[in-house]
Amino acid sequence: MLLAVVQPWPEGKQPTDAVLMERILQRDSGALEALYDRYGRPVYSLVLRIAQHPSSAEEIVQDVFLQLWRSADRFQISRGPLEPWLFTMARNRALDFLRLKREKQRRREDSDSDILPSAVVRPDPEGDIDQSRRAEKIRALMTSLPEAQRRAIELAFFEGMSHSEIAASTGEALGTVKSWIRGGLLRLRESLGEASS
Amino acid sequence: MNCEQLAALYEEYALGVLEGEERAELEAHLARAGDKCIAGVAQARWVVAQLAHAAPDAQPPATLRGKILDAVKPSADTARALVPLERPKTSEPRAMFPAWAWLAAAALALITGYTIRQMNNQNDQLAQLRKQMKLATAQNQALQNELDMNRMVAMVMMSPDSKSLKLMPTDKNMPMVRVYLHPHMGAAITADQMPSMPSARTLQLWAVPKTGKPVSLAIFHPDTAGQIELVAPVTMPMNEIAALAVTDEPAGGSPQPTTPIAWMAQVN
Repeated sequence: MLLAVVQPWPEGKQPTDAVLMERILQRDSGALEALYDRYGRPVYSLVLRIAQHPSSAEEIVQDVFLQLWRSADRFQISRGPLEPWLFTMARNRALDFLRLKREKQRRREDSDSDILPSAVVRPDPEGDIDQSRRAEKIRALMTSLPEAQRRAIELAFFEGMSHSEIAASTGEALGTVKSWIRGGLLRLRESLGEASS
Repeated sequence: MNCEQLAALYEEYALGVLEGEERAELEAHLARAGDKCIAGVAQARWVVAQLAHAAPDAQPPATLRGKILDAVKPSADTARALVPLERPKTSEPRAMFPAWAWLAAAALALITGYTIRQMNNQNDQLAQLRKQMKLATAQNQALQNELDMNRMVAMVMMSPDSKSLKLMPTDKNMPMVRVYLHPHMGAAITADQMPSMPSARTLQLWAVPKTGKPVSLAIFHPDTAGQIELVAPVTMPMNEIAALAVTDEPAGGSPQPTTPIAWMAQVN
């Protein structure tokens, strides 16, 4: 089997996700490196928010990127962009971890050396501008929601709870929880529609 | 509910909050849905995935990048080794014939080849074309089947209700098999770098219940690239499955396992 010789991309020009995935198929570890630089931080932030444990979050993120490397042939850009695929995979892995942890009742206190890292702001490279703008939009939207509605969406997304589990956890009526979540998702969809237009 | 009414639930489905009848109805609809609904769910997944940005920004440990790159280094190096190296330059052979003689010989060969092609029997060409068309139709059908299977596997993998399981091999030289277990859509089985198997043998996936005998879920074979990707129906409730196991069986499968477990994962 002969493989194409992998060429580096031109200086200063950011390759698209689709190009990087093609290059991962050619076993170009530089492409994985570039995708990690692009998505490693939001994926880690998401996983840490769900898993609440830095060393577990690190393992899960490592697993997610290795899965990306191993299963690049299953990703098809025609099915949709890479970012939600990656976020969904990371969220599912982190929620699996959370459910397992809950089932086994093995909550352990974080050691002093394992405290949550503080946010570090880094300069935005050009390729991150869209991602940053969307992230700002999402944070602004979440902040604008009433506390109870925001909490319901957070319980669903970050804790993997269903409608009835959220109702039980918050003591609200099931119908109220459903309308909060439906309303919140509708605003999210509209807000992202504005962001992309 | 019709297609449009169900479309209003796509985001809630992608978020994983739907339950009971609503979820069952939506999943049943998606299992037989057309491209429009599949695209609608994909769009909803994109919208919901954006909630990831609501997580507080955190810096991954500096060592994580290196760990990931170190882990992929062996396979990247292997691939690089397969790229042919530039051949060392050798000295120009001494010309035995003048250049015009080579050109004349090449022109003569071209003319001869052209003449021979013209002499080919037209019926043979037609037969060849028919054969190619038949082959292309079969390839198209195979690709369509593969696409359908990929779509089903992706749906099970991406569903928030799927339980992801790693079936660890008893032989450490074997790769891991991954199964995504969905309560309604079945079990999506995926694996890479599987060794080739003789046609007289097959792999068989078993659901091992908490009480009773193992139940066969699927019989499968790695493809020529060593990959496995399929979705099999699960005939028992997920909460009754204690473990999933894979054994090596004679072609066609066995009613009960006849060889030791080759891969296994605990479920409940």
